[in-house]
Amino acid sequence: MAGILVYALHDDEGNFNKNSLGAISEAAKLAGEIGGEAAALVVGDIADDACAGLGNWGAAKVYRAKSVPEGLAQPIVDAMAKVITENDISYALFGGGLLGFEIGAGLTARLNAGVTMEVTEVKVQDGKLVAERPILQDSEIADVGYVSEPGIIISRLNAFDAKESGGTAEVVDVDVELSAWSTKATMVQRGEQRGADVNIEDADILVGGGRGLGAAEGFKLAEELAESMGGAVAATRAVVDAGWYPYAAQIGQTGKTVAPKLYLAAGVSGAIQHKVGMQNSENILAINKDPNAPIFEFSDLGVVGDLHKIVPKLTEAIKAKKGG
Amino acid sequence: MPAVAPSEFPPPFDSADVIGPPTDPADERIEVGVAIVGGGPAGLACANKVMQLLEDEPELTEKLGEVPVAVIEKGKVAGAHLLSGANMRPSAMEELFPDLDKSEWPVYQEVTKDAVYLLTSGKALPLKPMPPNFKNHGNYVTSVSKLGRFLSDKAEEAGVYILSETAATKLLVEDRVVKGVRSGDRGRGKDGEELGNFEPGSDVVAKATVLAEGTVGHLSYAAYDYFDLHGADPMRWELGVKEVWEVKEPLDRVIHTMGWPLRKAARHNEFGGSFIYPMGEDKICIGLVVGLDYTDATFSCHDALQLLKTHPFIEKILEGGKRVAWGAKTIPSGGYFSMPKRLAVPGMMIAGDAASMVNVPTLKGVHYAMHAGMYAAETIVETLKKDIDSVNFEAYDEKVHNSLIEKEIYESRNMRQPFSKGFFLGGAIASAMTVTKGNFPGGHWSQEDDAEHAMDLGKAGDMYVKPDNELTFNKLDSVFLSGNATRDDAPNHVRIQTRVPKEIAQTWVSMCPAQVYEIPEDQLQSQAAEVDVHVTASNCVQCGAITAKGGRLTLPEGGDGPLYQET
Repeated sequence: MAGILVYALHDDEGNFNKNSLGAISEAAKLAGEIGGEAAALVVGDIADDACAGLGNWGAAKVYRAKSVPEGLAQPIVDAMAKVITENDISYALFGGGLLGFEIGAGLTARLNAGVTMEVTEVKVQDGKLVAERPILQDSEIADVGYVSEPGIIISRLNAFDAKESGGTAEVVDVDVELSAWSTKATMVQRGEQRGADVNIEDADILVGGGRGLGAAEGFKLAEELAESMGGAVAATRAVVDAGWYPYAAQIGQTGKTVAPKLYLAAGVSGAIQHKVGMQNSENILAINKDPNAPIFEFSDLGVVGDLHKIVPKLTEAIKAKKGG
Repeated sequence: MPAVAPSEFPPPFDSADVIGPPTDPADERIEVGVAIVGGGPAGLACANKVMQLLEDEPELTEKLGEVPVAVIEKGKVAGAHLLSGANMRPSAMEELFPDLDKSEWPVYQEVTKDAVYLLTSGKALPLKPMPPNFKNHGNYVTSVSKLGRFLSDKAEEAGVYILSETAATKLLVEDRVVKGVRSGDRGRGKDGEELGNFEPGSDVVAKATVLAEGTVGHLSYAAYDYFDLHGADPMRWELGVKEVWEVKEPLDRVIHTMGWPLRKAARHNEFGGSFIYPMGEDKICIGLVVGLDYTDATFSCHDALQLLKTHPFIEKILEGGKRVAWGAKTIPSGGYFSMPKRLAVPGMMIAGDAASMVNVPTLKGVHYAMHAGMYAAETIVETLKKDIDSVNFEAYDEKVHNSLIEKEIYESRNMRQPFSKGFFLGGAIASAMTVTKGNFPGGHWSQEDDAEHAMDLGKAGDMYVKPDNELTFNKLDSVFLSGNATRDDAPNHVRIQTRVPKEIAQTWVSMCPAQVYEIPEDQLQSQAAEVDVHVTASNCVQCGAITAKGGRLTLPEGGDGPLYQET
């Protein structure tokens, strides 16, 4: 039996990361094809119910390492290495993210394994997993197979969809002895970084939020609109500076440069410092209550009006269109 | 409500905090011969002159060690933070580089024709005879940010170490002797926390230290306090905002204007004018300079310059052209009575704008700064040659005192003050002062601190135009053109009180040419007497105006701020 182990990341409230859940669902599907089962590794003191609940996403077994802290790579490498070597596990699958990249790389080194990064799809050939990885600036796809076990597969963010299957997982506690170097770093603080899950530089559709959103809560409108279109949310410097949105989403002179197919600017004045970060977008649509806002000078379509009224209706209309 | 002055809301800043003994272990200090703070005309003239003099002093050179002269410059390169008119008198360049042909000077052209106009909202009336202080025949139009690069290259060729992207944040003083400066930390976050790329500063210890920091000198003004150097009058400043334009038609003369859009009534106290200089065949620069003792909180030098450009007389000059550079800087304008009592203290000398060496009526300062730098260089070499451990540089005071620097600045010592009587009367008195070389009416017309003038919410702001992005621009467009790309998570280096009466907050919002200060929109609409001031420090181009109007500019991380190329 060839099992697949997934690292299931959770936040401080014990909520599992959606990319981890997606990886579990993918592992369950693949395990079925190669005649194995999907397992998840959870660190920290997570309740039995919550661990067993991962069965709903496809995990048959959940290994729980209570004494291992969440969020630091090396202790988790210790835990995963132990579970992999002591059980019948042939692959480790990660749902992406910086921590997943770091743990995956550490695990690869520890177990002298083979690794594929930035994987977008996994398929089965001759009873073995083959990872698909975009290469040459995403112009070609390379198939990567493994000559030894375990094989480490680290996907891009959002590569796999989480699918509910209604099962319950068996929970197995594991004792992990941490390596000397694994205790050198301690977690001081974990912070939530909204929007950072999505690489805004790769998004085809971006909703850029500016001061016109009024407050941090206003970003909910932008997020809902982005979600309805399958896009991501970006932000201006002013709102990042005000603490309304994380720096990872900042567009402009001192932020990221993007060129999506559609850039929808909601409450963005269009100062040159922002413009240089998004002026190459294929289509620019601006909603702003100030008819004199500079953004209208380089928008393909401009709407003068109250975004707090327009955006929810637009979101609704897009959802309706997509639904129908 | 009684009128309020910015000085009633002093910044949370204590100059004593930037003075102290070296803290690095003795073997970790960076030892240099001469430490010069500031890569501008004063500092770089000093550096070049020291190296020239050392050519004949092998023994002293040996004693000054591996790094005989180091220039500590906070800009990305020398020149990055320099901005001036600039219409330079040639005397200092001639003296510093006697063998250099003028064709190799970093200048655009010699001035052969000049004119002064009084502007009304629609007309330009030539002033004849021209007020004598505006005569510029034989001077050279230059860009001081190009001049800085030129002098820096020359200095490096001569063996000077230019430590760019380095802020001198602390004056090292032990037993009341200046020992050098400490460079600022790099890689701190918004709340001062150490980021991944954190690098602590270093103590740079020297046999002689020269503060040539320019206008609003961070360490110089702290030294004024510490060594009790304040002159008879407080330091005062004007704010200059300048643009460089590519134009279709070459300009054949140097132009100065007075009057519109500044208001003539004495109660507004708007003293200043514009300059328009040719820069070769295809470029000109235009700037507006206004005294920071004005009293209308809605007055904006940046926006007044935009308005000025819409005047038919000026629009014609700019017609079909394109704005290629922008910047802003204060000018010390207190003149003779604001100069420090002494220019030398044990171990240290102060030169140039940091010591208020500016002749405001003639709009001259670059050559004074260079001459002062050279006097400091001579003093250092003469003093250390006799005794390498000497810290007595008082000879520098003597040299400046007997030079054209003090003579000329003394002659115009009272010329700025009469303008508080309104434009026409003030102009008449100032002209009389010029022709009598300051003997009429003589005496000492004393001056008030810029920040002590009460501010009111007036109507200046209503005059300004909506930017059209061809002739006129908003502040953020301007900041972008300054080359400023400071990281957003840098600590705030602007010290102000952040909850103040609306008059004070509006003063800062309007005054700042780089949109550093903002009042939250909801509070702007409200009738509340006090409002919050939000500071976007990364926009700052370090003009220094905030120090004049009740705040304090301190130094951000080295390398932050504008990257002026041709201002």
